[in-house]
Amino acid sequence: MSERSENVLEVRNLCKYFPIKAGLFSRVVGHVHAVENVSFTLKRGTTMGLVGESGCGKTTVGKTLLNLTPKTSGDVIFNGNVELDKMSAKQLREFRPKIQIIFQDPYASLSPRLPVGEIIGEAVREHHLVPDNELNAYVSRIMKSCGLFDYQKDRYPHEFSGGQRQRICIARAIALNPDFIVCDEPVSALDVSIQAQIINLLEDLQKEYNLTYLFISHDLSVVQHISDTVGVMYLGNMVEYAGKEEIFANPLHPYTKALFSAIPIPDPTVKMNRIILEGSIPSPANPPKGCKFHTRCRECRGVCSRIQPKELDMGNGHMVACHIYDPESGYDKEEAK
Amino acid sequence: MSEMNNKELRKSTPVTIQADENQMALDDGRRVKVLSPGMMVFKRFIRNKLAIAGICILVFMFAFSFLGGLISPYGEAQVFHKTDSANKELADSEINKTFRFYDMDGGNATYDIRTSFQKGIGKNPDGFSFTAGSNTYVVEKLGEDFYTISGNIELGTVKVSAGEETAFVPADGQEVADELAAAAVAAVAGDQGAKPALPAISKPGAKTVKKDVTFDWEGATYTLKPSDTGSDYTLLSEPREFAVASKLRVFAFDEQYSALTSDYNFRRSSELALRSVEADTDADGNAYYPIQAFTYIGEDGVETEYRMKKIDEAYGIVEDIHEEEILSVSNFFVSPYYPDVRFTREFWEALKAGIAGRQTTFEFVNSVGETEKYDLIKKDNNDNNYTIKTGQDTYLIDAFASPTSEHWLGTDEHGMDVLTRLMYGGRISLMVGFVVMILENIIGIIVGGISGYFGGWVDTLLMRFVDLFNSIPYYPMMIIAGAIMDSFDVDAKVRLYLMMAIMGIMGWTGVARVVRGQILSLREQEFMVATEATGIPVSRRIFKHLVPNVMPLLIVQATMGLGGIILTEATLSFLGLGIKYPLASWGSIINASSDMYVMTNCWYVWIPAGLLIVLTVLGFNFVGDGLRDAFDPKMKR
Repeated sequence: MSERSENVLEVRNLCKYFPIKAGLFSRVVGHVHAVENVSFTLKRGTTMGLVGESGCGKTTVGKTLLNLTPKTSGDVIFNGNVELDKMSAKQLREFRPKIQIIFQDPYASLSPRLPVGEIIGEAVREHHLVPDNELNAYVSRIMKSCGLFDYQKDRYPHEFSGGQRQRICIARAIALNPDFIVCDEPVSALDVSIQAQIINLLEDLQKEYNLTYLFISHDLSVVQHISDTVGVMYLGNMVEYAGKEEIFANPLHPYTKALFSAIPIPDPTVKMNRIILEGSIPSPANPPKGCKFHTRCRECRGVCSRIQPKELDMGNGHMVACHIYDPESGYDKEEAK
Repeated sequence: MSEMNNKELRKSTPVTIQADENQMALDDGRRVKVLSPGMMVFKRFIRNKLAIAGICILVFMFAFSFLGGLISPYGEAQVFHKTDSANKELADSEINKTFRFYDMDGGNATYDIRTSFQKGIGKNPDGFSFTAGSNTYVVEKLGEDFYTISGNIELGTVKVSAGEETAFVPADGQEVADELAAAAVAAVAGDQGAKPALPAISKPGAKTVKKDVTFDWEGATYTLKPSDTGSDYTLLSEPREFAVASKLRVFAFDEQYSALTSDYNFRRSSELALRSVEADTDADGNAYYPIQAFTYIGEDGVETEYRMKKIDEAYGIVEDIHEEEILSVSNFFVSPYYPDVRFTREFWEALKAGIAGRQTTFEFVNSVGETEKYDLIKKDNNDNNYTIKTGQDTYLIDAFASPTSEHWLGTDEHGMDVLTRLMYGGRISLMVGFVVMILENIIGIIVGGISGYFGGWVDTLLMRFVDLFNSIPYYPMMIIAGAIMDSFDVDAKVRLYLMMAIMGIMGWTGVARVVRGQILSLREQEFMVATEATGIPVSRRIFKHLVPNVMPLLIVQATMGLGGIILTEATLSFLGLGIKYPLASWGSIINASSDMYVMTNCWYVWIPAGLLIVLTVLGFNFVGDGLRDAFDPKMKR
């Protein structure tokens, strides 16, 4: 494999459009703009949280990164020089263990007809990561480190609870000794107490194996807990990207502000100053012109509906795509609506 | 200790979890019995009573079909025969009460003569003479009810007509030498020459005088008698004996003497001998008939001596000089229906005794020592006329025999044991079911699997192909295929294989659709995406992840489908398009019921086959239902 570079993952202008087919001959009549111009960098051993509303393209980003759905344009570079879409099928298959994914639904992501030991060890054996005679012990070790018991190896997924299943999913990913794991809402299907266990498990594993996570979630508290950096997505666009402390302390984008205002504060005496967004998320098949958020933005001015905002570096790695912070956009000169 | 462990477990992070290998808490997961999905299915399945009933039925059917054929003492196409005493009409017999006439060679007792004789004999039992036609005949008594008839014999007619040549036409049954005919014609011509046949003027009332013309030929005198009406002449021979009238008949015991029975001279002399024997008394004072020798002069002039053993007035046995009984003379008539039938003396006596005793049956021990039974059927309600029927043994195919201890379900129309046929038929029915099912599934899984896994245009193409297959009408197709195989006279075994192939080729589309649908939906499941993400090779993804998940549905489908295939095969065989004789299938066995007679009278031929089909299909459906419920994890029963 390539030499260990500082950046596990570099994403530049990633786009993913899904064609909309209609009519007798499945003519392409339009595209769903699931992901548009998403760029970020992930350093080794860090966790990036990816937040946003349902349907804003978070999961698509995760799957496109792993080439589980082919990207439309842009660059995805692992370990400084590996681009999945330029690999042959064989090379891709061999590189697969380095990049893993943990799915949202632990019930659907385990084959019901294989015992757990086989689910975890199968890919390890296929990729010859450990000698065959050590496989059993290896699987046991991985299971133990994921909070599973050795004797559960011969059981089938239907005999496990949701939290245990998610541990199995994590074990399956960890067993391949990956560099990078896309955690696609790994805790959203679980109840809160189990969520904490899984989050803690992920954190412990990160320390143990020096993992890099892309943590996709719509749960801001979880993201706040686990992430080092946070990206906020709206309708396929990354609207704000910054370090965790920075973004939670000083959210810049109006959407981020609205989103963060919804984080519940576990103190009944504190009056919450919630920003209620009006309207619903526009169709990604026919996104609004200019800033995609302008249809629901409180700060919307004329320029917002005309020109798509550029990504601005506000210093300290804080990126935001909003005309408010762009002196060149002429936002200040226009009247508020 | 364990409590602490549990507490730790709940709040701890995974790294700090220390699984206690030695001690188990009550709720420890290790206490739970591990069941693989297969075992779970099996457990759920055996709890289903209906499914167990189905399994029992199927086990019985398989044992019946595959072991039954080995146990059964009969072969698949073994034909059974029976020896039936078919009441074959053998002969008519009659005690003769009327006169019968026997013509001498060349003699001709015509109808006129016979009726005149019958009229006259009642009044003149000792002989008389009568006129028939224009001739006079003399009846002479030789013995009791035994007369000779003498007179001129009509040999033929000389036809004379104007403008045509005079011709001689022989009388019925007469053979006249050409020279004699020519002499007769010449004599007529001479007569005609003397007198014109037709006078120039015929006066009313005037009688045309015609005289007999006589001529000699080869030492005999012949008479030409002019007819009353025309100009023809009838040729008559010299008066001589030409027939006997008798109430007796001669019957040969053996084929070699049958010529004698139709010989005039033999008949006359033997009957004369019988009539001439007088009763005598032996030393003890019992009446008896002495044996009388007589001589028979054959046509070639050879004299042969025979002995007449008189038994009563109307019955005598003729022996040859070696004292072998060769024929009988009696008033007893037997006319066999078949020319080769001969009766021995013993049979003759038994028959005679039977008729004399007015019995309806009589028995007779034949030369081999077997007892033969004969029926006597009175004919026309006449005590003298009987039809003899034999209980003659005939070797017959034992068709539609009722159930017996030998044939528990009787026999079918070919005389084959129905139970054995059912066993072998079961083999074929079940084999057809399984082979066709496997064939359908192989094709269906391949096509459906490719279609579902690859999707896109491959899917579209294959599914349109499936649509095409689905739109072929099944039964017309099978009927055509059956007709083609009929016309090529395909061997029954080859036909079976071809039929299985055709049924498989026609039936795979359903499987393909199911597999495709299942794989399409499985392919999008997250665990399939996970296999891609972990870089598992395609073949392993298909065979380790997809196929095991499609399998339950396929097993259920196949089990349910088996019943349908067996029914289809039965239907085709019933219609005569499927399995053909000598092979059996349950359907072809039921086919016998298309005959109304079998349907109403031979329940044992078609009801068991029908029951077996119903039970088997029911069994497969029960098992299929059970499997479906067992495979469905949501079913908690």
